[in-house]
Formats: sequence, structure tokens, C-alpha cells
Amino acid sequence: MMRGFYPHQWLPLVLALPQILLILLFFYIPVAQAFYWSFFLERPFGGGSIFVGWDNFYRVLMDREFWLSLQRTGFFMLFGSVLAVFLPLILALAADQQIRLSYPARNILVWPKAIAGASIGVVFAFIFNPFLGILAPLNELSPGFWNPRTQANDAWIMLLIAHVWNGIPFNFVILLAGLQSVPQTLLQAAAMDGAGPWRRLFDIHIPMIMPFLFLAFVLEFTESIVGAFGLVDTMTEGGPGGATTLLVYKIYIDGFKAYDLSGAATQTSLLMVFVIVLTLFQFLYLEKKIKYERG
Amino acid sequence: MVEDTRLLHTAANIILLIGMAFILLPLVITAIVATQSYEDFIAQGLSLRIGDHFWQNIKTVFTETTIPRQITNSVIVALLVACGKCVLAFLTAFAIVYFQARYGTLIFAFVLATILMPIDLRVITTYQIAANIMSPINGLMDLSGLNDLIERLGGQRLYFELSLLNSYIGMAAPVVAHGTGTFLFRQYLRTLPKDLARAATLDGAGPIRFMIDIALPLSKAPMAALFVLMFLGGWTQYLWPLVAASTPDMQTAVVGLARLAPNLEEGIPDYPMIMTAALLVSIIPLGVTAFMQRFITYGLTLVEK
Repeated sequence: MMRGFYPHQWLPLVLALPQILLILLFFYIPVAQAFYWSFFLERPFGGGSIFVGWDNFYRVLMDREFWLSLQRTGFFMLFGSVLAVFLPLILALAADQQIRLSYPARNILVWPKAIAGASIGVVFAFIFNPFLGILAPLNELSPGFWNPRTQANDAWIMLLIAHVWNGIPFNFVILLAGLQSVPQTLLQAAAMDGAGPWRRLFDIHIPMIMPFLFLAFVLEFTESIVGAFGLVDTMTEGGPGGATTLLVYKIYIDGFKAYDLSGAATQTSLLMVFVIVLTLFQFLYLEKKIKYERG
Repeated sequence: MVEDTRLLHTAANIILLIGMAFILLPLVITAIVATQSYEDFIAQGLSLRIGDHFWQNIKTVFTETTIPRQITNSVIVALLVACGKCVLAFLTAFAIVYFQARYGTLIFAFVLATILMPIDLRVITTYQIAANIMSPINGLMDLSGLNDLIERLGGQRLYFELSLLNSYIGMAAPVVAHGTGTFLFRQYLRTLPKDLARAATLDGAGPIRFMIDIALPLSKAPMAALFVLMFLGGWTQYLWPLVAASTPDMQTAVVGLARLAPNLEEGIPDYPMIMTAALLVSIIPLGVTAFMQRFITYGLTLVEK
């Protein structure tokens, strides 16, 4: 760790102060308030609050819907992030080759970065519309083949496709940067020794980009927990029959539609604890398992 | 390479073609449906025939929806987010990297922790704060007993109120309260030679002068990268602007587009018009992405380093 140069004691604090105040106001206080509210029964529109101890937690944890939506969040996190990291990895491996198509690909594959989850949600909801969309002809051949409004599996497939579409740019750019930092000489030496493309992939590329893969997964996990809101809200509205009600969506409905502020705050606290534990686990446990062989 | 790479390259080409098709397909369908008329669309369903109704659809969007007004809102909010983030993040990163003060690390940890919990996760209580950003002061005065004292002396309790809901600042500020920019600038500033500050000091320039005249011009590239990324980030926000603005006139374009989309059972909606709106809502950020792609790649990889 290198030390700074200027010896001023107060100036750095003054420079950082605007950012500190903003973060205090819109990050730390809301986070603290979510935990604080979890112990109070808060009335909507400022009707005062009563201390209720662990009652809110008791209420939330006894609610089957909470566990179901947490389970769905976990499910989405696992499937969503595995797909949203491995498909870009395959694309990055292809774009890392010396081919002409690699140039347009590097531009076009970043485009989804410009499109909001909710916007592409509107578009995909239309494309996968059972009566008007691209799968409508199949529905005419065999009625009920595809209908995300009534079949939970179809709704999930639609959500995951949209999630992967939106997640490609970041993971593609990160993993491609990782692949391009692998020294060419190492690959040439391996090829001289008779290591084929598959062998090089598993013995050189993958181990060398482990830190990049790790970063992609860490960020993707959080992203899949919270970023799914725009997709769910525009594509399935939590349906059919609550099958896609992820926890972020349930918190929004409970808090802003049902005005159960205490319940929503309690679920927010629990989700935050979940995210913190998950991230700490990744950093303290998983990161040690990854060998950093790069300088 | 020392081996025959034809097979490998063919495979790579096919993979990239599939990947690009996957990305482009929804965009192309959106663009094509946007050219069709409602009547044609109803008659044919989803078809890839290019219609001649594009200008008509654009006119409909401009006259019958609030989308144009909301696009202006999005531009303002996205610019506020991008500018706010660049300025605040640069100041903080400079403070962390160029000063010996020991609490710099503390500030860095304080800022970095925000990456863990994006705005969508803390939206319930952030909304309460934005509804009255003075509420922490009220709370402090109640807790510290100051308000009791004031009540005894003046007969009335003090209560401040200032709402940021339905304002551009309110839609941008909580999004700016996030640590990626600081992290990005810190990574970059640490790569600059330390002797720059020493040389500047010998020439009689203080830290502020050094920051403005030397560090800032040297940081043009990461600044541009952060600006582009945060502009896109501000534009594509959904949950926060959805709750922070309650009137259609103040909502952002993405929220407006989602409101245009039909409820589940309501006959056949005017999809050509909705797709035209989707196109209009996405054209600015898409242009930024396609033409400033260099900065995006640079910015994202800088975060990684």
C-alpha cells in the first residue's frame, strides 16, 4: 500500500465530504432505518410507530410466502447467474480468437448495456406473447404448448432469457479482458508441446481467468437478486399464481401497494443480511480457494 | 499459432454469429413491428414484413403519450447522475490517494460498502428519506433531547420538512450514492507516477492546484468512461424512478414505457405503437453505447484491475 503525498490533515476530509454526506443520507441511514423499522410497527402516512420487539421477524418468518419467494430468489440467482456468466464466457473465448468477426461482436455484444431491464422486459413479453409472439404458430399446432401467463416454467424461461440478454455485456467485457491478459507466449509454448485447444482451455485459459470469473460471479449474484425487479414487473407481474414473485418484487408489493411498511422493512433487512453473508462467504472462503498465479 | 486453426476459427465464427443474432433479434423485431400499422399487425400477427407506418407511429407516440416529455426527464436525470458521480467520485478518490491522512482508508471502506447493496435493495427506506430528507435531523433532535429543550423554552417543537420526491435531484441523488466511481478513479490515480505531486510542489502548486491542473486533465479517459457508464446507469434505472416520481410528467422514459405496456387481459394492445415507443426510449442510450463503446470497455476493465 503506497502512502499519499500531501500531509494536510483536514483537506482530504473536506474533499470527500460531499460524497460522504450523500452516502450517509441515501445509503447508511436507509440501511439502518430498515433494521430499525424491523422492530417497530410502522403505520403508513406517518401515524406513529410502536416498538414490537421481534414480532415482525416472527410474522415474516412464519409466512410461507416469504420462504417461497426467498427460495425463488435463490433459484433465480443460481440459474440466472450461471447462465449469465457461462454464455458470455463462451462468447468471450470465441471473440478472443484472431478472426474478423471479433470486431463487430465486441461492439454489438455490449449493446444490451444501453437497454433497461424493464424496456427489454416489455419487448420480450411481446415477443413471447402466446398469441401474438414468435411462438404463436407452435401454439396453433398444439394448443397450450407455450403460455408464460399460465405456465410457471414458461414464465421462468422467459425471465431467464431476458436476464441473460441483459447480463451479457458486463460479463463479456470482463471475461474478454481476462482472456486477453493471458500471455500469447504461454499459449504458443503449450501449442508447441502439443496441447490442443481443449487442453489449453482447461489448463491455461480457465485457471488464468479465475479472478475474473470470480469477480463476474460476485457481481452477478447481487445483480440477479435485485436486477430482476424490472423484468418481473414488466413481464410476469409475479405470476402465474405467484410463481415468479421474487423477494425484491414481494418487498415492493408489500411496501408500496399493501402499505405494510414494517413487513417490507423486515424483509429488506433479512434480504440485506442474506446478501452480506453471501458476499462475505465468497470473499473469505471462495476467494482463498482460487489460486492467484498471476503476478 | 503453430497449428491449423481453421476448425477453431470456424467454430468461433459460428458462436459469435449466434451471440450477435441473440442480441440483435429482439432489437430487429422491435424496429420492424414499429413500422407496421395496428391493422396490419392484427391481421398478420408477428411478421417480419416492413410496413410504411413508422412516421405515423412516431406521431402517435408524440401526440398521445407522455413519452417525449419522459425522454427529456431521462436525459436530465441521466446527466445529473453522470455529472454528480464524476465530480464526487473524483474528489473522494483524489482525497484517498494523494493525502497521507490515515482516515483515507476508512473513507474508502465507507464508500466501497455501498457496492454491496444497490438502490433497489433499500428502496423502501430510501423512499422515506427522500420524502423528507430532514427526517434524520428531526430524529437527532428528538433523540438528543434538544427538541424537548426547545419545546420548554419556545413552546413548540421544531420539525423540518423537505421532500425530494417528484424532483430531478431526488431521482438522481440516491443513485449517485454508490461507490463504483470512487473505486474506478482510485484504481486509475494509483497508476499515475507519485513524483508528479512532488514536482508540482517544487513548482509551488498546492494540492488543489495540482488536482485541477494536473490530476484532472490526466484523468480524462477514466472520466469519460465513468460518465458514459453512469449516463447509461442513470437512464436504465427502473425501480427507484418508479417510486420516486408519481406523476407521469416527472417519470423517466423507461417507467413511462413500462406503463404503456398492457395489463394482462385487455384485448390486443397497439403493439406497433408500444414498440415505436420502446425504440424511441432506447435510441439515445443505444447510440451512446454503439459510438462510445471504447469508453465502456475501458471503464469496465478499469473497475476490474
